[in-house]
Amino acid sequence: MESSAILPPRRFTLVTGKGGVGKSTVAALLALSAADQGQRVLVCELNTQPQIAPLFGVQPRGGERVDLPVGVSVINIEPRAAMEEYALMKLRFRALYRLVFDNPIIRSMVRFVPGMDDLLMLGKAFNHEREEINGAPRWDQIIIDAPATGHSLSFFRLPKIIHEIVPTGNLHAETALMWGLLTDPARCAIHLVAAPEALPVEETLELHRRLRDELGLPLGALFMNLVPPPLPALEGLDLCPALREIVALHAARAEAVTEARRRLSALGMPLLELPLLNAARLTVDDLQALRRGVSL
Amino acid sequence: MNLAELIASARLIITAGSGGVGKTTTAAALGLAAAGLGRRVAVLTIDPAKRLAQALGLDALTGHMRRVDPVTLSGVALAGPGELWAQMLDIKVTADGMVDRFAPSPEVAQAILSNRAYAAFSTSLAGSQEYMAVEAVWRLISEGGFDLVVLDTPPAAHALDFLDAPARLLDALDSKGIQRLIYPGGQGMAAERPKPPRGRGLLLRSFNKLTGGAFISELSDFLSLFGCILNALQESSRGLQGLLRQPGVYFTLVTTPAQTQIAEALAFERELSRRGLPLWGFLCNRVHPPLPPEAAAWLEASPGRLDEAGRALTALLRFHQARAALDAQALARLSRAAVEARGLPLLSAETDELTRLAQLGALMTGRGGDT
Repeated sequence: MESSAILPPRRFTLVTGKGGVGKSTVAALLALSAADQGQRVLVCELNTQPQIAPLFGVQPRGGERVDLPVGVSVINIEPRAAMEEYALMKLRFRALYRLVFDNPIIRSMVRFVPGMDDLLMLGKAFNHEREEINGAPRWDQIIIDAPATGHSLSFFRLPKIIHEIVPTGNLHAETALMWGLLTDPARCAIHLVAAPEALPVEETLELHRRLRDELGLPLGALFMNLVPPPLPALEGLDLCPALREIVALHAARAEAVTEARRRLSALGMPLLELPLLNAARLTVDDLQALRRGVSL
Repeated sequence: MNLAELIASARLIITAGSGGVGKTTTAAALGLAAAGLGRRVAVLTIDPAKRLAQALGLDALTGHMRRVDPVTLSGVALAGPGELWAQMLDIKVTADGMVDRFAPSPEVAQAILSNRAYAAFSTSLAGSQEYMAVEAVWRLISEGGFDLVVLDTPPAAHALDFLDAPARLLDALDSKGIQRLIYPGGQGMAAERPKPPRGRGLLLRSFNKLTGGAFISELSDFLSLFGCILNALQESSRGLQGLLRQPGVYFTLVTTPAQTQIAEALAFERELSRRGLPLWGFLCNRVHPPLPPEAAAWLEASPGRLDEAGRALTALLRFHQARAALDAQALARLSRAAVEARGLPLLSAETDELTRLAQLGALMTGRGGDT
């Protein structure tokens, strides 16, 4: 399958948007698309209730990596496991790790520092980016199901902040590398997901402004998810009040979609629309249909 | 206790749930409804959407409690003696306020305010919101003056972060060991000073290897400077933990009918019950109301010989019916004898925000139809 022209491939992509708009769905679509092009794909969820693997009928256990039959691997990154991995990499000895992290003072201090969990999770995703097998990159693409809008700005900004607070040493160096990756348009892209309603659209505009202008991060595509079917022309029908009320509800939503489309396309990012499906739970077939709909 | 009784009698309502479920709107609607009953209500919200903030007259980022203009409110819902106050939590304002109040001297206050770790803590790091929300809500409640406080919890990836923040804080403070670890011969009264932990040198070297040498001392400077403030925060945390278990305090879990959000609401319920915290029940936003009988009858009777518009209407009603059925299933998952589960209908997105809040509030107190 030829690669999608709409989304130039980046090895490190992050998906963010307001809560509930379908970030995980979009991450799954991107992963499916990349896997179909023969890429080795790793999707990282960040310490949440796993969303991606269950879409493919698999219930992951804890933080173990799951290799899905569709050719996509998924990992739910937990801060504690991420910390252990990082510490073992640097200290090389489990006994030393124990000495440091079994110490109650260190443990509570690390837990107290705001942002520490986020940094550890981002760091682990970053390590997967550097992961190699026989001298070649282990993963062709890493997709991160990033935190929702309210939290994502501080999440993205974190390497920069820690880099400034910690003036020397490992953490200083690591965060510089992380920030370098996040801000490199050749390697990284952040995709935004919105729903066609006033509040999510406004949040998306705000997020776009801050990611691009304040943080200078490279943006990818904009997904408008959960788009209801267009309102059919109903002229000439004589409706009773009860019917009129239902129609009015959907007419208002259709208007909101038009308005959302207008405001979101003004951002100048590639805009991909995904329809609202009448299903309690998306199936693999639904995902494939969504993909075909946007030619991913 | 039904929703109207909750609004009429609760002292503190905490709205919680995953992001994007309409938590803040729900908190504001609850507050407006209670004010409509003549109560004096404070709504503490965190980072509300701009439209909502404007509707409440919160566009000035003061970080202080402000009364929502009664003239504006009288237009929609509030004619009686009730008062609605609202505050948008501003981490920096709250944190700086604590420094001013609790620092032992202006010099210490100045040292804290110019510490780099403090600057990051008070402005940009995820997690600080939780600490500051604890402080803000505790102040609000211990100072009294309101019949009801509605607290909109921070938008966290894990709604529980808010509940965990105080415990995390107490943990960090109660260990009292960081100073000893770093300056074993130094500060504190000799009699109170236990021996430094064994293997301290190796431990510090290992930790420094992970983070870079300056991190631990930077952090320790911060903690030691900030100690007086932390003590105050600690007091708030303990106070709030106790308060959360007093009568009149209820968690309300906000959700939408979407599968993933229902699952998160149920997970949150289990967490609350594990902690012995009081749950009022679930509020499920954006429920498609069932088709009214006339509409359903029309659909039943709809003959095969429809014109184009008739067929289009049929398709729309079938779509609505399917969504309403899914939403009803979702609500059924929440309904349990022990807690309430209340659906709130999808409202037209095009009405102005305050009118929507008033509509929601009226539905909540049973003065405007039901779902």
